[in-house]
Amino acid sequence: MKSYKVINTRLPRVDAREKATGDARYAADLSMPNMLYGAMLQSPLAHAKILNIDVMAAKKLPGVKDVVTWKEAGLVKYGVSPARYDEQIFCSDKVRYVGDEVAAVTAIDLETAMEAVSLIKVDYEELPALLDIESAMAEGAIAIHEDFPGNVSAEVHQEFGNFEEALKECEIIRTDTFTNKRQDGGFLEPQACLARYDLNGNLTLWSSTQSVHYVQRSIAMVLGIPVGKVRVIKPYVGGGFGPKAAVNAMEIAACLMSRRTGKPVKMVFSREQVFLHGRARHQFTHELTTGVKKDGTIFALRNVCHLDGGAYSSFGIATIYYAGSLLGAPYKLPNMKYDGYRIYTNKPTCGAQRGHGGVAARAGWEQQLDIIAAELGMDPVEFRLKNMMRTGDVTCNDFNMSSLGMKECLEGVRDGSNWVAKKGKLPKGKGIGVACGFFVSGAGYPIYRSETFHSTATIRLTEDGGAVNLYTASAEIGQGSDTILGQIAAEALGVSLDDVRVHSGDTDFGIDLGAYSSRQTLMSGHAVKMAAEDTKRQVLEALSEQLNVSVADMDISAGVIVFKKDKPDFSRLRTLYIKEHRGWEDLPTGADLTFKEAARVAFITRGVIIGNGAYKPGELGGKYKGAAVGTSPAYGCSAQIVEVTVDMETGKVTIDAMTDAHDCGFAINRTNVEGQMQGSLSMGLGEALFEEVRFDGKGRVANASLGEYRIPTALDMPNVRTIIIESDEPNGPFGAKEVGEGAIMPTIPAILNAVHDAVGVRINELPITSERLYAAMKEKQKK
Amino acid sequence: MLLLPKFDYEEPKSLPEALAVLSELKGNAKVIAGGTDLIVNMKKGTLKPACLVSLKKVEGLRQIVREGGGLTIGSHVTVAEIAESATVAWVAPVLARSASGLGSPLIRNRATIGGNIVTARPAADLPPALMVLGAEAMLKGNGKGRSVPLDSFFTGPGSSVIETGEVLTSISIPSAPPFTGAHYVKLGHRAALEIAIVAVASRLTLYKPDGVIVDARIVLSAVAPTAIHAVSAEKALTGQRPSEELFAKAASLAVTDCSPITDIRGGAGYRRDMVNALVRRTLTKAYHDASGEKEGGA
Amino acid sequence: MKKLITLTVNERVYEVAVAPGRTLTQLLRDDLNLLGTKEGCGVGDCGACTVILDGKPVNSCLVLAVQADGSTIKTIEGVAIGDSLHPVQETFVEMGAIQCGFCTPGMILSATSLLEKTPHPTEQEVRQALSGNLCRCTGYQKIVEAVQEASRRMKK
Repeated sequence: MKSYKVINTRLPRVDAREKATGDARYAADLSMPNMLYGAMLQSPLAHAKILNIDVMAAKKLPGVKDVVTWKEAGLVKYGVSPARYDEQIFCSDKVRYVGDEVAAVTAIDLETAMEAVSLIKVDYEELPALLDIESAMAEGAIAIHEDFPGNVSAEVHQEFGNFEEALKECEIIRTDTFTNKRQDGGFLEPQACLARYDLNGNLTLWSSTQSVHYVQRSIAMVLGIPVGKVRVIKPYVGGGFGPKAAVNAMEIAACLMSRRTGKPVKMVFSREQVFLHGRARHQFTHELTTGVKKDGTIFALRNVCHLDGGAYSSFGIATIYYAGSLLGAPYKLPNMKYDGYRIYTNKPTCGAQRGHGGVAARAGWEQQLDIIAAELGMDPVEFRLKNMMRTGDVTCNDFNMSSLGMKECLEGVRDGSNWVAKKGKLPKGKGIGVACGFFVSGAGYPIYRSETFHSTATIRLTEDGGAVNLYTASAEIGQGSDTILGQIAAEALGVSLDDVRVHSGDTDFGIDLGAYSSRQTLMSGHAVKMAAEDTKRQVLEALSEQLNVSVADMDISAGVIVFKKDKPDFSRLRTLYIKEHRGWEDLPTGADLTFKEAARVAFITRGVIIGNGAYKPGELGGKYKGAAVGTSPAYGCSAQIVEVTVDMETGKVTIDAMTDAHDCGFAINRTNVEGQMQGSLSMGLGEALFEEVRFDGKGRVANASLGEYRIPTALDMPNVRTIIIESDEPNGPFGAKEVGEGAIMPTIPAILNAVHDAVGVRINELPITSERLYAAMKEKQKK
Repeated sequence: MLLLPKFDYEEPKSLPEALAVLSELKGNAKVIAGGTDLIVNMKKGTLKPACLVSLKKVEGLRQIVREGGGLTIGSHVTVAEIAESATVAWVAPVLARSASGLGSPLIRNRATIGGNIVTARPAADLPPALMVLGAEAMLKGNGKGRSVPLDSFFTGPGSSVIETGEVLTSISIPSAPPFTGAHYVKLGHRAALEIAIVAVASRLTLYKPDGVIVDARIVLSAVAPTAIHAVSAEKALTGQRPSEELFAKAASLAVTDCSPITDIRGGAGYRRDMVNALVRRTLTKAYHDASGEKEGGA
Repeated sequence: MKKLITLTVNERVYEVAVAPGRTLTQLLRDDLNLLGTKEGCGVGDCGACTVILDGKPVNSCLVLAVQADGSTIKTIEGVAIGDSLHPVQETFVEMGAIQCGFCTPGMILSATSLLEKTPHPTEQEVRQALSGNLCRCTGYQKIVEAVQEASRRMKK
C-alpha cells in the first residue's frame, strides 16, 4: 500500500483542545444582545381535534414579545422526503401525539416564556389514540392522517429472484419473529438553536444539527424565504446519531418569531423534549423466513416487517426500505422477498438512527442464521465464511460490493477473540457469540429528488501562503469529519494538517447533504480531495510559468515543492518572498522551495487561489422501485465477537469482552476509526440490554429521562478490541469508506448469540433485560 | 434549561433557630441537604415547598463518631463519606457497601444519609442496611428529642414518622455482637445510576462460629411501600442451624412477606423471584462472614 | 428575594446576587459566563454539569447557587495549568478520548478529581470514578485509557 504523510495516522483532532478546555461553543452557549427566549406549547394528548386556541392571556403577560400558532406560521407542509411532507410547524386541525407542537412564545427570559406557554388555553376534543400498530391497523381504526386511511404511512414490496421457488431447494427452512424497541438518540446535547432575522431580511440560524443544508431548505420553504436569504450555521454539536438530521419545529418557530419581533430568538430543548421529539429508531417487528440448502448455502429469505412509525413520516420513508434492503449482503443471497409496512401511531415520530433501518433486521437475521448453523452442525464462523460475498460481487438487490473485506473482518475477530479455543468450551453461564453486518457509505441519492452535487468544497490559500482555508458545509457532530477532511486536504495538497484550517457546517460554504447515512468521509472527502488537487494544480501552474518546469515534473509534499527532475534555480522567487516579508524571523532558508513561497508566487501572478471540488455519486443501483434507497458508492462491513456472563439466578447479562473488526476501506485517521467502532458498540450494547422508550396508557413517554432510559455507563462497557481492515475502496477518496454506522450492525446479534451460548435460550424481543432473560430461562427449565 | 419554581431560602445558624423556622413555616418548608431527590422533584413539579431550609451552618451534623463499639453518624454526612470511611468499613461494612452503590460518585458527594432516610423512597439505598444494623434515628424538635428505630420510621412511600418542626440530626448504630455477618445486594439494570429493582440486606448472628443462629434480620426494599423486614423468614431462621436448605426455606418465606408491584423498573413476579434469589445469596454470604468472625462487625 | 453570595470560582472571587431557585449551573453559565459547564438533563442523570465543589465532583444542576455561598469551585475553565493543558486534558486530546466533546468537561473534572485522590487507579477504579458521567460517542474506552496514561505521566 502507498505510504502517506498525513492520512492513515493518529493525528489528534483539530477541535479536541477547544473541547478539552471548555472553549467549544454549542448552540445553547450562544447569545446575542437583545436576545429573546422561546418556549413551546406541546400537546398533552395523544390524539385530539383542536377546537380553539386562546393566546390572549399569554400575549398580555408582561415580558412576552410574541405568541405564534398556525395562524401566524401558516400551513406549509414539510418533512424529510417530498413524497411525505406531512408535518406543519404547529398543528391546526388536530394533534397527533403527546408532544405535537401547538404554539410558541418568545419573551425576555425563559421563565416568562414558560409561564406564558402555561397561559395558552387550548380546547381539545379527544379522539381515540392508537398507541400500537395493531390498533392502528385494525378494521375501522381512525385515520391519523386523512390521506392515509388504514394508517399505513408507507408500504414496500420487493422481490429479487423467486423466493417460493427457491425454498423448494432448501432442506432447512426456518421462520422466526424478532422485535426490537423504539430507541432514543441519547446524545448528551439536547437540540438548541438561535435564530436572527436581521434588518436586511437575512435570516441566520445557529442550530445543533447534522445537516445545515436540509434545515436551510426546509426553513426557506416553510417560511417562504428565498433559500439564498437563509443561512444555517452549525456550532459545535454534542452528538446527533440521526435524530438531528432533519429540521425540527423548534428551529422553524425560532426563525418565525425572530422575523416577527426583529430580535434574535433562542430556544433549547429540555431532556424531556428530546424524548418527545424522538425522530430516533423505530420499533421493527421482523418475520424472517430463511431457506438454506443442506450443504449450508443460504438461498432464500423472506422478510416481512412492520415498523411503528409514530405520528409523522420523518425519515421513515427511507427507513422502510433499509429494513429490507440491508439484508441483501454480506452473504450471497440470490432470492430475497421483502414486504414492509410502516404504520402511523399516536406517538412521537420515529426516524433515522445509527444503522438506519438495518439494526433490528440484522439482529434478528444473524440470530436466526446461528440457529440454522447449529441445525446443520456447522460452526457459526465457518457457516458465515462459507456464504461470504467477496469484493466485486453484486447483491440480488443490485448493491455493488466494490470493496468488501468481510472475510478478513470475520477471520480477524475469530483469531482476535480466540474463538476456536472458547466456542463450545466455556462453562455454563458464560458464552461467546458472533455476527456480521454492513452499511452504506452515503445514500446514493439525496432526500429530495435533485441533480444536486452531494458535497462541494472550496479551498482558499491565504495570500501570504501561510494557511490553507478549507470551506465545507459538512457537519462535524463529534464523529471527526473536520479532522479527516483537513487531513485529506493536507495530503492531497502536500502540506501538513497544521497548515489547514477547516471551516465547516455553514450553508454559506457550499452544499453538503450533511452527516447522515455515513456519507461524509467518502462524499465530502471526495469533494475536498478534488478541491485540494485543483489548488495544487493552480499553484504548480503558476510555478511552472515562473520556473519553466512542466507541471508534470513537479509535486508538493510535506510542505515543499518536489522536482522530479533537476531542481531549477528558484532564488529569484525566494528573493521576492524575503523582500515582501522584511522583518519576519522565520524566513525560508533551506534547499527546498517551500509551499509557502510557491503559494505566494501563485497569488502574486494569478490573484487569490481558490480550488473547487464537487462530488455526486454516479448512477447507482437497480431499476426497481425503491432501488434508490440502499444504493451507495461503497459499503463498509463489520464482524464482531462478544463474550458474556449470565447470572443464572437473576438473568443479568454482563458483557465481558468485545472484539470488533471493521472494513473502512482505508483509515484516514486510525484513532477516529477506532472511536467510531467503540461508540457504535456502546450504542449497540445499550440497545441490546437496556434501551427502550416506554409509554403509558395515554401515549405519554413514561421514561423521558436519562435515568430511566438507560444508556451504558463506563461500568457497563467492557474493553473493546478493535481491528481495522482496509480493503481499499476504489470509489472512496484514498480508498476510504464508512465506519460510523456499519460497526453497530453485528453488536446486538453477537450478544444474542453469546447469551444463547451461555444459557441455551433464544431471545426474540429486545432489550435483553434480566427479567426477560430470567423468564426465558425459567421457561426453558420447565421443558 | 430545567427551571426551579420560586421559593424562599433560609440558612439558620443554629439548631434551635432551624427548628423555630421549620415550626413557623408549618409544613411549607423542607430541609435541603444534598438536594439529589428534592431538587429533582422540584424541577419536575412533584414537590413544591414554599421555603427550603439549609442546615449548612448548624454544627454537629457532619461527623462519624465511634461510640462504645457502635457508631453515631451525623445526618448531613454524605453518602460518599460513609462509603469511604474506614470507621464505617470496620464497624458496619454492610452500610459502607450499600452507600457505595447509591447513584453515582457525583450523586454520592452530595446525597446525605439523613436525606436518604427522610425522603423515604421505597427503593432507597441505605435503609435496608440501617435496619438490619438496628439503627435508630435521632429526631429533634417541637420541644423534644426522640430516638426512633429505623424499623418504625417509614410509614409509606415518601412518608415517615418525622413531624413538621422536627429535624433528623443523627443516626446511631449499635455495636454488633460477636459472630455477626451481614451482606447487601442491589439488583439494577446498569452498573451505576440505578434505583433498585430489588435490594436485600441480611444479617446473621451466630451463637458461635459453628453454632445456631441467634439473630436473623432480613430487610427487603423496592418490594413494598417501605423497606420491610421479611418477618416470616427471620422467624424461620432464629434458633436454627445454618444450612443451604434452611436459607432456601427462608428465602421462599421472604417472598410471602413482600408485596411488589409492577412498575417501570420491573414486574411483580420477577421481583418476587429475585427476593428469593437475593435473600438466599445474602444469607449465604452473611453466614460465611459470621462464621469467620471473632469480633463484632457487620 | 435575591441573596448576595460570595464564592471562589477558578481561584477568582465573585460576589453575585442570586434568587434561591437559581442552580449552580445557571450561576456559572448565565451569571459568570463560564460556558464550559453544560446542562444535559438538569436532574443529575448525565454528569455533563459536573464541577468540583469544595474539592468534590458534583452535579452542579442539583446544587442551589445559594448553597455554594462561601464555597470554592473549579470548572473546566480552571483545569489548565497556566497556559498549559493539564496532563488529563493532554491525553484526552492525544488519545481520541474526545468526540463530540459535550461530556468532556464533566469527564475531565471527574478524572482529575480521581487522580488527586488516587494517583494510580486501576481500570476498574477509573470506570467507577467516571460512572456518573455519561458518554454516547466514545464507548468510554479511549477515555479510560487516557486517564490511565495521564496518571502514568503525572508520576514523573
